[in-house]
Amino acid sequence: MVAFRPSEDETMMRDEVVSFAKTLRTDARAFEKARAVSEETRRAAHGMGLGSLAIPAAAGGAGLGLVTQALVEEAIAYGDPAAAFGLAGGASFVRAVLELGSEEDAAKILSRYTAEDGFKRFGAVAWGERKPNPERAGFSTIATGGKITGQKSFVVNASRAETFVVFAQVDETQGWDGIAAFVVDADAPGVTVSPRAATLGLEIADVADVKFEDAPATKLGDGSAFTEKTIRFFAKTGLIMAARAVGLAQAAFDVTRDYCDGRKAFGKPIGHFQAVAFNLADRAMDVDAARSLVWRAAEAWDRGAPEKEALLYSAHAVSFALEAAMRCGDDAVQLHGGSGFMRDYPVEKFMRDAKQLQLCVMTAEQADQLAAAIEVGQPLSIGAILPTPETQTTLV
Amino acid sequence: MTIEFTLSNRQRDLQAGVRSLAQSIVRPQSLRWDREHAIDEDFLRNLARMATSMGHGGLGTSASLMRQEEEAPAAEKKPKSQNLTTVLASEEMAWGDAALLLCVPGPGLGGPPVRASGTPEQKKRFFGIFDDLTVLKWGAYALTEPTAGSDVAGIRTSCRKDGKNWVINGRKCFITNGARASWNVVFATVDPALGRAGHRAFVVEKGTPGFSVGRIEDKMGLRASETAELVFEDCRVPADNLLGGEEKYVTKEGFMTAMKTFDNTRPIVASMAIGIGRAAYEYARDFVKDHYVLSRPIPRYAAIAERLARVGRGLAAARMVTWRAAWLADEGIENAKEASMAKAMAGQAAIRACIDAIEICGAEGSIQTDHALLEKWFRDIKVYDIFEGTGQIQRIVISKRLISNLKSF
Ligand SMILES: Cc1cc2nc3c(=O)[nH]c(=O)nc-3n(C[C@H](O)[C@H](O)[C@H](O)COP(=O)(O)OP(=O)(O)OC[C@H]3O[C@@H](n4cnc5c(N)ncnc54)[C@H](O)[C@@H]3O)c2cc1C
Repeated sequence: MVAFRPSEDETMMRDEVVSFAKTLRTDARAFEKARAVSEETRRAAHGMGLGSLAIPAAAGGAGLGLVTQALVEEAIAYGDPAAAFGLAGGASFVRAVLELGSEEDAAKILSRYTAEDGFKRFGAVAWGERKPNPERAGFSTIATGGKITGQKSFVVNASRAETFVVFAQVDETQGWDGIAAFVVDADAPGVTVSPRAATLGLEIADVADVKFEDAPATKLGDGSAFTEKTIRFFAKTGLIMAARAVGLAQAAFDVTRDYCDGRKAFGKPIGHFQAVAFNLADRAMDVDAARSLVWRAAEAWDRGAPEKEALLYSAHAVSFALEAAMRCGDDAVQLHGGSGFMRDYPVEKFMRDAKQLQLCVMTAEQADQLAAAIEVGQPLSIGAILPTPETQTTLV
Repeated sequence: MTIEFTLSNRQRDLQAGVRSLAQSIVRPQSLRWDREHAIDEDFLRNLARMATSMGHGGLGTSASLMRQEEEAPAAEKKPKSQNLTTVLASEEMAWGDAALLLCVPGPGLGGPPVRASGTPEQKKRFFGIFDDLTVLKWGAYALTEPTAGSDVAGIRTSCRKDGKNWVINGRKCFITNGARASWNVVFATVDPALGRAGHRAFVVEKGTPGFSVGRIEDKMGLRASETAELVFEDCRVPADNLLGGEEKYVTKEGFMTAMKTFDNTRPIVASMAIGIGRAAYEYARDFVKDHYVLSRPIPRYAAIAERLARVGRGLAAARMVTWRAAWLADEGIENAKEASMAKAMAGQAAIRACIDAIEICGAEGSIQTDHALLEKWFRDIKVYDIFEGTGQIQRIVISKRLISNLKSF
């Protein structure tokens, strides 16, 4: 059966988050300035269990599926797309532990994040590197003998993380098939975090480089089916970003639709001009299509659909939603005229956040590569599909 | 007549001169100006001096340029290619830093209406203040109001004659250099019911009683440029400051003064957008060379090559349309449609360039550092599809000249 109505539980959960997210909208500029979400807000979100939806019950979480997560993430991003990056835990970190680690890993690592003081705790994934390795495919960061050495870039939550999941080369002859994931403590010897970067949007995200010099590392999971798991990690986390993109797109759209009702030029509301009305209609289609694609992908994962189906749906959701959000942000500024350029309206921030979101976890281009590889039956390899320094770097 | 695309020696020299200035002196300071919301006065003073020595077209609306035109004997007036030359220089300068062009001392956007409609005494008076290059001075152009932007004819700022003065009441917003300007060309209406025929243009000098500056805007981009709100409360302006004198307003001239400015400035604004877009394009191109051209094949090369080429061709097309609009003006041929085409195309091609350049460079493209300005260009560019007539308004101007008997939208 096909249905587009969330269940009663899901609706309740979403409604609760929607009212919470109203405060996020109010505080968005203050958070932007502080480059962080206030502790009070993080505590409230933690109380609602927003950071631990995906974490299994064994580790103190709610163990909910991606449909619920998509609904919640959209609602948070509707309030403030950046705030979603400032709540405790960290979408990428939690997901990486879940997908790449064993059940015991998850219980051990994630229970700290569901604990009462979990609102103070962040984790991060150290994936990206700035430049391709000139000699060979694969990462330049190397793990041998339980130690990691190398420089990781574009790490979200870098300066506030307690724990890193670090991806590093273990076999230099194997290119992108020769990598593995490790857990490294932020205060372990040999770990240095560079100063936070200033980013175009999503200022809250806390992006920096992390340098590892013989840092002690423990392997995450048993390393089996590593490529499949890593691609799954990116597809599912990418889907969360797509849900945030839907929230951003809807927010930009709603604010703009209201503005077009109220703003008058040439004696009538600007929405009464066909050029404006058609533009709004296009963006409304963007929002609805993006949301439906996100739901379809989330439902496929939750249902336990064949892997390729879920991956393909995720790829569609990611590339469509990221681009739709960019169009919605861009047109929101455009339809606000000069006011759109001013920081006392929210739309210029939506536009910057949309561009930044396009570079989070998976890009539209990578999602398209994934979809095409599935459709034409190419092998799904990390090098061809995921954000490597040889393809396109992202904030993970 | 011929068709040719070779710049004159003079144009080539100017282009190269501005380019090297932009590269060596402007670029390195661009991000600091953005952060400090201001450009150092010493720098502006030197620039003003340099602009004067470059003569015509160096920096568009520089004061010396206005005056040279006024004072030169008729035969020498305007080298024939002045609009095109200005367009070339603006692209180069905006490539260095777009906000700088809005901060250059001189009459700015206030220059064209004074030049087009001012009496000889007014021109002397209002341009004369720019003679001393050691003192930084600006003029500005105040048309937009909180409730009237695109709908220029809908302004509500009122003016009425009272003895030897005019009394102005109302508010202007988003006025570039409005607060620091020595004078603003302010548009007001004697009676909103009269529409355009009721409009009057005044030169309101700083310090005029009843005139004050409201808020200074906090903007997405062009943050080194001042954008101000102006407040007029029973502001008494001497009758001598009514631009062109009373006889000028027997017809719809007042409004036409406002519009004339745009036909000349739209190609210039278009070329600034192209300058920003080209900066982003070149950055992405070099990034590709640096990151993706390796001795081994890498998976993404085809995708980026396609995207890069698409950006490049969009900018090239916009540049040609912009050159043509400027050339038409130089030839004295009506160019309202082409000027709007240039502005509309350039705004969008350049926004596309900035969005895609960041996409090509990935995460690194979104990070603000002194040598990587993509993030800044993304913030600067959007307004080029908004000010000087939004993209939608340009399309109205264009389509009114394409479709028969089109009265209004
Ligand atoms: C940085 C900056 C500097 C500026 N500097 C100056 C300056 O120096 N002097 C000055 O006078 N002004 C200045 N402006 C104002 C600028 O010119 C106006 O913002 C611009 O003309 C748009 O007007 P508006 O903001 O009122 O938007 P609106 O006119 O309210 O437009 C809102 C939206 O409606 C659309 N729209 C309006 N009418 C129609 C229609 N008939 N059909 C289809 N769509 C329509 C517009 O395209 C836009 O998308 C500046 C603005 C900025 C942002």
